[in-house]
Amino acid sequence: MKSVKIKQLIEKIEGEAELDFTFNDGLIEDVKINFGFYRGIEEILRGKDARDALVITPRVCGICNHAHLLAAVDAIEDGYKKAGQNIVLSSKAKDIRAFTLACELIQNHIKWFYMTIFPQLEAYVEVKSEVNYAMKATYLASTITKALAIFAGQWPHSSYAVPGGVTCDPTHLDVMQAQSLVDESIRFFEQVITGLSLDDYLGIDSVSSLGKIEGDFGNLLYMMGSHHMSEIGQSYDRFIVFGECGLSKAGKSIVTNVSNVDVRYVKEALQEGTVAKAVSYKERLYEVGPLARGMVAKTPIVKSLHKRYKDSLLTRVFARVHEVALLLDYSKTLLQNLELDAPSCTLERGTELSDFEGTGVVEAARGSLIHTTTVKNGLITNYEIITPTQWNLSHGNEKEQGIAIKAMVGSKTMEEATFIFRTFDVCSVCTTQ
Amino acid sequence: MFITPKPTLLWLQAITCNGNTHSFLNHPDLFSILSHFEIVHHPSLESSYTMEDVINGEVPCDVLILEGSFIDEGFLKAGVEVSSLIHTYATKAKHIISAGTCATFGGIFKQKDPENISGFCFDLEEKTSRYDTYASKLISLPGCPMHPKWMSYVLLMLAANKKIAIDNLHRPVELYGYTVHTGCTRNEYFEWKIDTKNYGLKEGCLFYEQGCQGPYTRGSCNKILWNDISSKTRAGTPCFGCTEPTFPKASLFHTQTNMGIPAKMPLGVPRRAYLTLTGVVKSFKIKRFTTRLLEYDE
Ligand code: SF4
Ligand code: SF4
Repeated sequence: MKSVKIKQLIEKIEGEAELDFTFNDGLIEDVKINFGFYRGIEEILRGKDARDALVITPRVCGICNHAHLLAAVDAIEDGYKKAGQNIVLSSKAKDIRAFTLACELIQNHIKWFYMTIFPQLEAYVEVKSEVNYAMKATYLASTITKALAIFAGQWPHSSYAVPGGVTCDPTHLDVMQAQSLVDESIRFFEQVITGLSLDDYLGIDSVSSLGKIEGDFGNLLYMMGSHHMSEIGQSYDRFIVFGECGLSKAGKSIVTNVSNVDVRYVKEALQEGTVAKAVSYKERLYEVGPLARGMVAKTPIVKSLHKRYKDSLLTRVFARVHEVALLLDYSKTLLQNLELDAPSCTLERGTELSDFEGTGVVEAARGSLIHTTTVKNGLITNYEIITPTQWNLSHGNEKEQGIAIKAMVGSKTMEEATFIFRTFDVCSVCTTQ
Repeated sequence: MFITPKPTLLWLQAITCNGNTHSFLNHPDLFSILSHFEIVHHPSLESSYTMEDVINGEVPCDVLILEGSFIDEGFLKAGVEVSSLIHTYATKAKHIISAGTCATFGGIFKQKDPENISGFCFDLEEKTSRYDTYASKLISLPGCPMHPKWMSYVLLMLAANKKIAIDNLHRPVELYGYTVHTGCTRNEYFEWKIDTKNYGLKEGCLFYEQGCQGPYTRGSCNKILWNDISSKTRAGTPCFGCTEPTFPKASLFHTQTNMGIPAKMPLGVPRRAYLTLTGVVKSFKIKRFTTRLLEYDE
């Protein structure tokens, strides 16, 4: 048996990563994932005012900054509640937060779809189209983040969510502008991405009707199908979701069995040889992200794909693109039902607490994001952030290899393995914070 | 026919969150702006060279865009110190644009290791040892992140061979001559010294209690707006001074005061002038500024 080690630099993800492949008898048997630089956001936060986390933590990540803001505010609110301060958000504040988060997820998934998956898949299967995919991505991403900015002031790096609600006070005019930006995004999804009306698309609930999908998504499915991508990229078939929102339910799914979870059983551990920390739930590794959300919420088309193709590359990619449709539909409903005359912020000025500990959980684009803040005399004494990529991209533990590594093991080529790697929507800055 | 080659553009990242990359991707005219350049490498856009080529030092570079804070030692890409890559391409480049507060002054990530992490040519407001070597070609675009239109302004000026007027920190005056306060929808409340009663209200100014740094922060955020539609202060969030060398300060949601008066004055305004005006203004009570702007059910 011959063992060979090869290093590969992965670019055009969020940041960069280095993969060290170990081949044995022509098949990949192990991969080490290395990320760049530890930036120490958690350390930077120590000694700062509790609410400064609302400004500092979005800077963990340029693409999922809004999720960090919402996890940070959720952690403070949880801490207030545990310390006896009653906080009830208005439906308006809740819906606006849900809307802006949905916009950020759409932005993320679309950039991944067009700027990571398309060019890499074309390179992998050796077709070269002259399509400017980045132009499509940035058109939709800038349209939907504009809708976000109507409420949040700007994207990236807004800090508009504060304990008790949101800082904006929108009018009907604002809501209508946001609605037409969502409508424009839906039009794009229909005409360019799927060739189907959103309703018809959402009606697809089983593998047998996937053939209806045209447009860029149709092309992608065709390319993936004809290159047997439903047979590669499987991991442990174990999924976990901690954030509850209009689209996601908290829970874990093992093969097809869904059960409850409690965030207290999440453990973070240092790993040798990398600045990224690994996370587990009751000593076991789980996959997070859109596929996990689909499995736990039992989204019909995701379940149907999973039944036939397991947690393969095809199922994983599909679940993420599919989430765009769900999010567009959801954000439209949120705006329609927004109660504008409810208060934006229900916590009175000057009622900040100075001693508390709280945990905030949000479903970010790549999966569950968890912030825990400990505050004494108004200042942060400890801050912990667990990002989604720490679940998916860890090296693993003594018992098993990490989620993405498991998905790559058994591949014959580095090209195949790195493509599998990218389907996890890799973000190096979040992994190393 | 003789075609002059386009200037080459290299976007290089050091210690960053990628926020400037994503901010710029939001530019509505992104591809027409980029059409003036050949993108030799960019973190996410299609490029004519790979990152490995960049690391090998083989890539041409007329315009270098730097994103993220600088450290001399300890940050490597494929085994190569990023600082040495930056020096290689900064030497080749005709123009260097530092994109964002990190690359310009050190920014947030400087706080992790203030001794060793800084901006490329500035460490907060001080010049670094690199300043003299590169100052002649340096343009600073601080902001966390920088506004996409600040970048397009610089790129289009360079493409048109026009001279960009800059201040002592190398910021283009057309972009940073304003303060963030300019164009804020809360200006009337600022003038009449009326603070907002809570977060989540259209009415009131955030300067007196909530920590707004708009009046002494340079940037055209409220003039050209973010995402072409809004801004922090318009959405009721204080300005955190993210374009300034001092970003991020402590207690960002709170105004430091001296005997009830904000400790830091609007840019260039003497304390005495401010106090005089405040005295006059506070002697009037104007009803319009104490009621809600819009009442739907009257
Ligand atoms: S200046 Fe702000 S947006 Fe830019 S890299 Fe630094 S933290 Fe990110
Ligand atoms: S909120 Fe800030 S930017 Fe707006 S008027 Fe008040 S001080 Fe100026």
